[in-house]
Amino acid sequence: MQLEIYQVIVPIISIVFIVSLLQRFWAGKVGWQESMVGGFFWVAVIFFAFFPDLISQKIAGLFGIKSNINAVIFLCLGLIFFFQYKLFLLVKQQQSALTALTRKLALENRQKEEDK
Amino acid sequence: MIQPQDICVVIPAYNEGSVIAEVVGGVRNEGFAHILVVNDGSSDDTAAQAERAGAVVISHLVNRGAGAGAQTGIQYARLNGIAHIVQIDADGQHFPEDIRKLAEVMDQEQADIVIGSRFMSRNKDIPMIRVLYNKLSNVFTNWFCTRWYSDTQSGFRMLNRVAIESLDLHIDGFGYCSEMIILGEKSGLIIREVPIRVAYTAYSMSKGQDLYMGINTAMNILWKLVSHPK
Repeated sequence: MQLEIYQVIVPIISIVFIVSLLQRFWAGKVGWQESMVGGFFWVAVIFFAFFPDLISQKIAGLFGIKSNINAVIFLCLGLIFFFQYKLFLLVKQQQSALTALTRKLALENRQKEEDK
Repeated sequence: MIQPQDICVVIPAYNEGSVIAEVVGGVRNEGFAHILVVNDGSSDDTAAQAERAGAVVISHLVNRGAGAGAQTGIQYARLNGIAHIVQIDADGQHFPEDIRKLAEVMDQEQADIVIGSRFMSRNKDIPMIRVLYNKLSNVFTNWFCTRWYSDTQSGFRMLNRVAIESLDLHIDGFGYCSEMIILGEKSGLIIREVPIRVAYTAYSMSKGQDLYMGINTAMNILWKLVSHPK
């Protein structure tokens, strides 16, 4: 099997991300669900790098898409939406935390002034 | 009968240094001595002006939006055992003498929240574009309510202790007006409306919502209903 350059680079990058994910899991920074999803994603990327035609044809066949190129485009769009949603969720969480913190500080500062 | 000393007037304010002293003074002149200005991370002298005019000032270190300011006022009331709060806008569009109207309706109808409605009586001063935005917001908000409210976006509201204890607003921006009504209904609070007057000036028109903010508000409400359904 003749390997293209991307078929070496993409799996290496994926393995780096998998190792990093495992480290984060062991350090308790991410839960097992997120680790499973992340791990599955990066393993899928490795397989996709090794067998791009076979996998894209299977996906095209599964969803009734005519060509495997279209299947790749739809898959990428799906992934972009997924990551966009994750980002949106993160921003909302950060905003809520910032508001809660701002409110707590404001009320505490007021209390200190009243106690003086 | 609810007395002025039983009411804390909460004014969320962001960069309102040029008008806040007048608004606080107007409320004081109506006999309401307990005034809280929630300075929402203003970059001007809003806090100093409000304090000089006789208000208690709570300052957010960073700007978090009108809804965040309103919830801070509610939280303050909750912590300090305040029986009633009245929220009014800081841009001077509301008439402080209308606070008594809200108090009367709260008393007579045993309501938990009383909303000052700009659309229950004829208010010629309201610009058409504001009428349009508000009507659209009403349709959107009332979709999630069991009753029809004529002014879901009014910032002039009175809350009693039950409402103060039960409301936990999550929307930081202007969407809190709708959120309060939807949440209030879900919590079984009695919500009533009373007609109020408003004075729109060039200054107050420069504040408030535009179309982009309205769409953003609608998205925030939808998101809130999905992420915090209770």
